[in-house]
Amino acid sequence: MKKKLTEKKGHVVAWIDKAEWDQVLEYLYSKECTLQKYALHRISAWKGRFSHNTPIAVESTADLVRCQILDRSGQLEADDLVLLYGTALVRFVNLITERQQGKIARPLRRLANKLRIPEWIVNLRHDITHRKLPTLKWCRKGCKFVLEWLQQEYWSRQLGSGLTENWDSQSEGEDGEEEQQRQEDQLIARQKEIESYKKARELLISFEKEQFQAFEGFLVENKPMSLLPAPSADMSWILAQIKLFALESSEILIDVLMEDGFIVPTIEQLESLGVNTSDNVDPTAPGLPRVVLRFWLPLLKDLNSQLFIQLLLEKLFVELQQPSEDDQKHRMFYVAGWISEVILCNANKSEYHYESKSQRKARQKDNIFINRIQLRWQQLLAACLNAPCVATPHLLQQILEYMDHPMPLDTQQKLLKLSSIYTQSADSGCDPSIQHSGQHSGVYTLESLHEKLKSRCPGHTLRQGTVSDQCKALPERTEDFQEHLSPDVLAERAAELRGSPWQVCTDKVEWRNYPLGKVPGQLKDPTCLMLDHFSTMTVFDQQVEMENATQHNAHAGVSMPHRITTDGLLWTHNDISKLKAGLQLF
Amino acid sequence: MKVHKAPSKPEHMSKRPHCKDKWYKLNRVSNISDCSSLRSDVAKIEKYVSNVRKDKHNLKRLKKGAKAVCFRPFNPLALERTTTHPSLTNGGAGGKEQVSDSDESQDWCSLAKSVLHQYFSGKRTEGKDSSLSAEVSPGRMEEEAFFHCAERDHVHNRTVLVMQPGQTLCFRGKCLLSCLYGRVEVHGFTIEEGQQSYPLFSPSSHCPLTVTALGDSSNPSKTEKEGRLVVKAIVRKYLSTDTHKRLLSEVYLDSCIILLEPLDTPLTRFLTSFPDLNELFGLNSREIRDNSAILDTPLSGIGVIPLRKSSEGMFMSQSYREALNGLVNACAEELDGCPVIIVCGAKNVGKSTFNRHLINTLLNHTACVDYLDCDLGQTEFTPSGCLSLCTVREPLLGPPFTHQWTPEHMIFYGQTSCETDLDRYLESLKFLWRLYKRETPIIINTMGWVKDFGFQLLVDIIRLFSVSHVVQLSSGDKEICPQLTTDFLRSSHGWHTHPPAQSALVEDGCGGHSTQHSHTLFSVNSEFEGAGRQGEMRHQRSNELRDLALLGYFSQMQSPEPGPVRPLHCFTPYQVAHSAVAVRVTHCEVAPTHMLYAANASLVGLCCLNEKVSGRGGPVLLSQTPVCPCVGLGVLRGVDMIRGLYFLVTPVAPSVLRQVNCLLLGAVSLPNVLFTGQTGIVGDPPYVTMDYSFELSGAGKFRVFKGLARPGQMRNSK
Repeated sequence: MKKKLTEKKGHVVAWIDKAEWDQVLEYLYSKECTLQKYALHRISAWKGRFSHNTPIAVESTADLVRCQILDRSGQLEADDLVLLYGTALVRFVNLITERQQGKIARPLRRLANKLRIPEWIVNLRHDITHRKLPTLKWCRKGCKFVLEWLQQEYWSRQLGSGLTENWDSQSEGEDGEEEQQRQEDQLIARQKEIESYKKARELLISFEKEQFQAFEGFLVENKPMSLLPAPSADMSWILAQIKLFALESSEILIDVLMEDGFIVPTIEQLESLGVNTSDNVDPTAPGLPRVVLRFWLPLLKDLNSQLFIQLLLEKLFVELQQPSEDDQKHRMFYVAGWISEVILCNANKSEYHYESKSQRKARQKDNIFINRIQLRWQQLLAACLNAPCVATPHLLQQILEYMDHPMPLDTQQKLLKLSSIYTQSADSGCDPSIQHSGQHSGVYTLESLHEKLKSRCPGHTLRQGTVSDQCKALPERTEDFQEHLSPDVLAERAAELRGSPWQVCTDKVEWRNYPLGKVPGQLKDPTCLMLDHFSTMTVFDQQVEMENATQHNAHAGVSMPHRITTDGLLWTHNDISKLKAGLQLF
Repeated sequence: MKVHKAPSKPEHMSKRPHCKDKWYKLNRVSNISDCSSLRSDVAKIEKYVSNVRKDKHNLKRLKKGAKAVCFRPFNPLALERTTTHPSLTNGGAGGKEQVSDSDESQDWCSLAKSVLHQYFSGKRTEGKDSSLSAEVSPGRMEEEAFFHCAERDHVHNRTVLVMQPGQTLCFRGKCLLSCLYGRVEVHGFTIEEGQQSYPLFSPSSHCPLTVTALGDSSNPSKTEKEGRLVVKAIVRKYLSTDTHKRLLSEVYLDSCIILLEPLDTPLTRFLTSFPDLNELFGLNSREIRDNSAILDTPLSGIGVIPLRKSSEGMFMSQSYREALNGLVNACAEELDGCPVIIVCGAKNVGKSTFNRHLINTLLNHTACVDYLDCDLGQTEFTPSGCLSLCTVREPLLGPPFTHQWTPEHMIFYGQTSCETDLDRYLESLKFLWRLYKRETPIIINTMGWVKDFGFQLLVDIIRLFSVSHVVQLSSGDKEICPQLTTDFLRSSHGWHTHPPAQSALVEDGCGGHSTQHSHTLFSVNSEFEGAGRQGEMRHQRSNELRDLALLGYFSQMQSPEPGPVRPLHCFTPYQVAHSAVAVRVTHCEVAPTHMLYAANASLVGLCCLNEKVSGRGGPVLLSQTPVCPCVGLGVLRGVDMIRGLYFLVTPVAPSVLRQVNCLLLGAVSLPNVLFTGQTGIVGDPPYVTMDYSFELSGAGKFRVFKGLARPGQMRNSK
């Protein structure tokens, strides 16, 4: 019974709706005996529905109200009533404090105090359990107080009817020590996180500085990039530091990398690297400028463990999920570019078997890692599909292609198609790579689906694709859920049931519209389900009947020897001695 | 009365490497020649293979079970027959159907041996017989192995896997397994070439399933050459040319070839349609944490995720194997009537796993085994709250919710523990016991309540049902209940039964009781990790398992053809007049006027009273809970007060439903997802609220204090 149960999905309860809850509450606290009794009966039905999950507050309230009704009836003596009240009160105090108990038993008084139950109620409970029984007067007082407490703390606050602001403050004060401890722990954890974040930032910035210096020299002299010098001593030291840091908190490192100005370079950074930022980049087929890749290569080559790469990819995909604003386009492009780059490194080597040694060398130089890394492709696939954007079809294709164990071809195609349909609206300029299917360049509509269907199954005559028909298309889809029994099945079932009181329901009812527990024409008010007349049936001792029935069984004779020993034991010793005693009389 | 000792030295093992060597030689020679010269034979063999695959045996008999040398001649005749067995079975399917007496005993004999064999092959796997294991490379299949030994046919989406004897595949997921060549064992059940496909379910709620390749398929009638051809034909049939070559190089005469196909049934469709359950056939949190799954294998597209060694499959302790072995022997030996086996022990010690294993092992040689389920909380074939007697004909290759079959006889008890009404519990069991025909061995599964009254009930059951074998499982050192020896039973009191009084014995001298029934006791110590504790991961808690069983039960309503999954409220209901069926709530007192309110949208047991039910127009309420047969469960979908009708949805066939005249309600309620997941309805679903706050004091249900020891120990599991 944690908080999560109340999240979104709803919780299954015994009452039909809030109206019923309110009615039962009203009846319980009315001074009218008949109404109170009615509420108790309803709660007995709730208990039947709830089985073991009846809330203890409901149960306690019912017990106490029952005492009040019996008290007011005037048919019981004071001593009877003290016993009744006593049980109800003891159960209330024990059950309500039960949840507060930790592993070590704590005094009830303290637990009750937290719940704002006064000490005298707890003392009353102690009196009932192991001291002199209290007087009826005290019992009545206690009952009245507890009922009020239940109304205030449970009934009137439940079901969203008045969760007051002071509630929060109270719940905090509830578990004082534990709460404080937890807060302290959280604080420490957060502090640590901030520190490592700062450190990661510092390390990466110093890396960037070093790299910029190295690059600047080259850019000025306009030498080919491939001639970059071996990393300086400073650089080696920084890289070692970063590597060490990544061992402990790769997650934080990746988070920092992901920020603007690191692996997603700012415009200024790009300019200083000599990348033309006004390039007409194609957002659907992202790729990184080589300079940017090479800028980061020394770092990434050092960190190319399986775990790190997997984490990096997943985080990159999470980045892609952010809503793509116009100013974010640049960022999206680079994020997608990095994903594409990393996945490309995992390309099957067999594709390159034709290339020369030098070609391979050149290619591998730009790779973050050379040997294929075992990635968790399924997760990546899911991550990719979770972050639909203009580049998704491109990335998806890459993933599908390089997976260790590719999916069936038709599945691949379907996925690609779906993703292209889904992402196409984001940009009017449609990706040429997703045009492979040809005809549908525009927006997908129902018409195109109809057309497709028609071309697929020419034998099947579709109804004319009028506008009204298309409007129906959607409801038709959900109608699928409704079970439609064919006349044959109906007839068959009816034949099998003939002569019995059972029938297949043949009413023209859209059952899918009616949730479990509702039938057409039924009122919302649960009073319609109350019985005013019914008959009671007492079944004869079924046991005897069945025993006779088995006697007639054909196979009973086969197992006769066994049966005798079994039946012999069916008599208890008492039975046997009684029988013996009876025999001696004759 | 201790267990039968397993013979210590397996003689046949010296045979194995020998025949392997031979095959190696042949391998080299035939590689050159077989392509051209033998092509003409392939068609013939393909035909043979398909023939073998086609015939389904109701009565399953292992063809090669008798291969190993008999360690323990139970019966000289049987031993002699053993040697002639292969010729008989190879003659064709017809031979297998004749069940003569000696045939029977011979089967039992070989069955006993097959268990022994498993025992030793299991030992060998653990590396104790190092000389062998190094060569055969047994053990868990890991990345390398999948790379070499598995090929996936992308067109038909199926995977062929070659396994060497002793190799195991432990996995999560679900699939359809057929054995193409050789034979494999899954949870005690042996599947060999030519048999039907079996569905395997290995969801995260239970211990993962393990497929073990068995050796000794050295069928003398099959020469190496022939064997080679058969293998080739098989692999060709299932794989395209470019892939099958590579696989063939991994195949030896004693290898096994299995085919794995995706499994899609109404059950899996229905279960995975619930968002909370869509990872049911995936990894559990621990396997994810330990990174024990081998992802991206040729099996992943099939729905099978192999696990690394780090995640242990089922662990069978020494005493577990000995008990299993002893029981198989007992079923072979018992001449005076069938064995009555009872399996008992505290909660979570592996009773039902042992039961499944035992049933599967017995099914290797007998057509059916009876099963009396006395465990209300974790039932095997029915939703919980039911007691049942079931004749098992199919192996159990998955947890209970994957085989919710209609039992032959069932009684609706209505609660997940029996403590509130011990008498009715015992009466119900006696009722079922009388319907047992005593023609097959029976296994009695008991509840995990083995203290106080629970223990007394256990004593009663052993006495009343003249149990011949008691399997008592325990975990750890702490003894929860005393050993149920015959001596102990002579003096212990049950709830209904009592030991013969001393006075009676003295008076009678050698009265009827001195010849009291005696039984064999097997004490099994469960040594698997987490024994005696409830699983804490998703889908492992007992209430989640109960929900799964119910969902499994109602999945029978889904149509067998693939299509949209229908929520329960979309089905066309059956209707019956209020006056024609009696209603009763079994677990608490409900005010009669509010009875239909309590019954609306509830789970009901569909029961048959002997008496005719006819109310005077209005509903009929029973004054006490009867012990009567139950034919299944349904959901009381709605109540029409104006016309006086109940609407019911149920998977029970109409021909059976017609007998139903009593609806019993119990404390087992419908899974919450059936209420919260209703789609397409108009308006808000009743009985569902978004606003219930569990933060308020008293909002929760009873919570029993863990440190508190109380007689109703079962309550903890609720």
